[in-house]
Amino acid sequence: MQDSNYTKIVEGDSKLGRLALLATATAAALASCKKEQEGVFELNEVELYDSSADKVRMKSNEQFVSILFTNLFQTGISTDIVFELNQCFMSIGDQELAREVLISNLFNTSTVQLPSQEEMIADLDGFIEETYKRFFVRLPSEGEKTWVKNFISNNPYMSPELVYFSFALSNEYLYY
Amino acid sequence: MIRRDFIKKTALTSAGALVAPYILPSGRLFAGTGSRSANHVVLVMFAGGVRHQESVGMRYVDGSQPQETESGNIMYNMLAGASPDSKIVFGTGDNGINPIPPILSTPLSTQGKLYTEVRALSAGHFGGLNSIIQGSDFSGQGLKERPINPTIFEYLRKHLNLSATDTWFVGNSIGGSLPLLNYSSHPEYGIKYGGNFFAPLITFGSQGQEYLGNAKVYHPENELSPMYQLKVFLDNNFANNGRVLDSLGNTPEEKQSIKLFMDSMYDKVQNGTLSLPPVTDNGDTATVGFAAELLSWFKPSFSVVNLSAVDTCHSSYSGYLKALHRADHAVGWLWNYVQTQIPEMAGNTTFICVPECGRNLEPNAIIDDNNWYAYDHSDQNALRVFSLYVGPGFAPAVIGSENNPVGQVTDAMLTAAEVLGVPASQFNTWNLASGTMSRLND
Repeated sequence: MQDSNYTKIVEGDSKLGRLALLATATAAALASCKKEQEGVFELNEVELYDSSADKVRMKSNEQFVSILFTNLFQTGISTDIVFELNQCFMSIGDQELAREVLISNLFNTSTVQLPSQEEMIADLDGFIEETYKRFFVRLPSEGEKTWVKNFISNNPYMSPELVYFSFALSNEYLYY
Repeated sequence: MIRRDFIKKTALTSAGALVAPYILPSGRLFAGTGSRSANHVVLVMFAGGVRHQESVGMRYVDGSQPQETESGNIMYNMLAGASPDSKIVFGTGDNGINPIPPILSTPLSTQGKLYTEVRALSAGHFGGLNSIIQGSDFSGQGLKERPINPTIFEYLRKHLNLSATDTWFVGNSIGGSLPLLNYSSHPEYGIKYGGNFFAPLITFGSQGQEYLGNAKVYHPENELSPMYQLKVFLDNNFANNGRVLDSLGNTPEEKQSIKLFMDSMYDKVQNGTLSLPPVTDNGDTATVGFAAELLSWFKPSFSVVNLSAVDTCHSSYSGYLKALHRADHAVGWLWNYVQTQIPEMAGNTTFICVPECGRNLEPNAIIDDNNWYAYDHSDQNALRVFSLYVGPGFAPAVIGSENNPVGQVTDAMLTAAEVLGVPASQFNTWNLASGTMSRLND
């Protein structure tokens, strides 16, 4: 049908016919070559919790290690590693101990993203706020900020690494 | 200072803390108990489904395989009896023709009490293991769930005030919900009375080596102490929301000791210096090697070791015979190791060996390379097992017969409790299967 119309229009060689041909071709081109919309991948803004009371669900081992990797390395973790780490966790009865050993292993790698001791001391308020946001996805209360600030100031061995260690090992970090 | 030196030095500090008496949660210096007949109990769950006929029945292939009449004992470290003369497939070498030489000159059955006809409470693995660990029947117990009744770990820790590292469960895998058996969901017991658990083939295997075997060593006082202090502050704040997380209750000193033990295992695995049975070619024998290391390190009052390689019998009868022979080899080796390599436990340890279930009377349709039929476990024959108690207080005796069954698998945990000094008056408050008895004073 389309072929016979096309033949008739060409054979007629009229302006109308040419316009019709052009319009048909344009419409066909627009319809058939519509560019598929590409997905856009970007990080969502994470909404901060108002307080720790909003966290009511416990992370699975898989969630824990995935989030821990992201927090410490600022990058994702493969599902193979998550699977193997879960097996390691299952093989140890004291889960807190297992987490502690895992974290201390991770801190023994060179790619952990940590502020320096000098950076921490130079802006202690900012460091504490960022640490709460990084690990607890919330801001510290004034009381928490004051206590942690005093604690770090009074403990010369308290490095950013050990602060991160405490947060990663805390009970709140197990919840979301 | 290199890392290993540092570990050794901190170990000395930790050891000092560990040997010093400490105030128990109850406020007493040491737990008040009944008298102990031994200071240590090792409960071997001789599990995986051990058919009565080939084990304590010593019938080898006689009656189980068409046209075969060869009988004999392939568990000669545990049981007294002549081994088969022919049709040997359970040993080492090509086709398993070389039986593994015995470890013990005197079989365990002649050193203690052998119950030859014991009733299992379940024909399945998880039910059977639960009945041994809880001392109760399987009713109401869901699969892939923690035991609903307290486990022997919890009873001992609560009533004897044992510390967490004084009770251990060494699992041969993380399958079959095994990691769930170290404590129950019982509201009056639970995790804070649970036993420590390792599945060493995973913890110290390739995965463990990769992800856990390179832990950074922190100074216990300068670094770990403030780290824990900050954690306590964070946890206390979180607890204000009503979410308190109980744990196994390993003290900082116990945790340090466990970490040092782990480090030692990673070293030994890497260096090939792990203590292992002479023939270690399956998961059970390797697990027992790690169990020996663990006993040597912690010298726990109570430990459970689980074996299960015999379950290959679902598809290979010959493989089952090999696994059974190796399980016996491993138990004999472990007993010998305790008596000769761990002075603190030598002559002061009771071994209890009991399968969690047996296997069927009739085979399934699967034939192995030797044209022998395999066996599942689901019928009444799968409820026929044996038990073995060896150590101080267990005078040698063979008790029971096919027509006179004596005992059930739940006796094992109650006997362990009595050996370790739980007063018998306490047993009435425990949720035990009907007929459960301590076999200490039989």
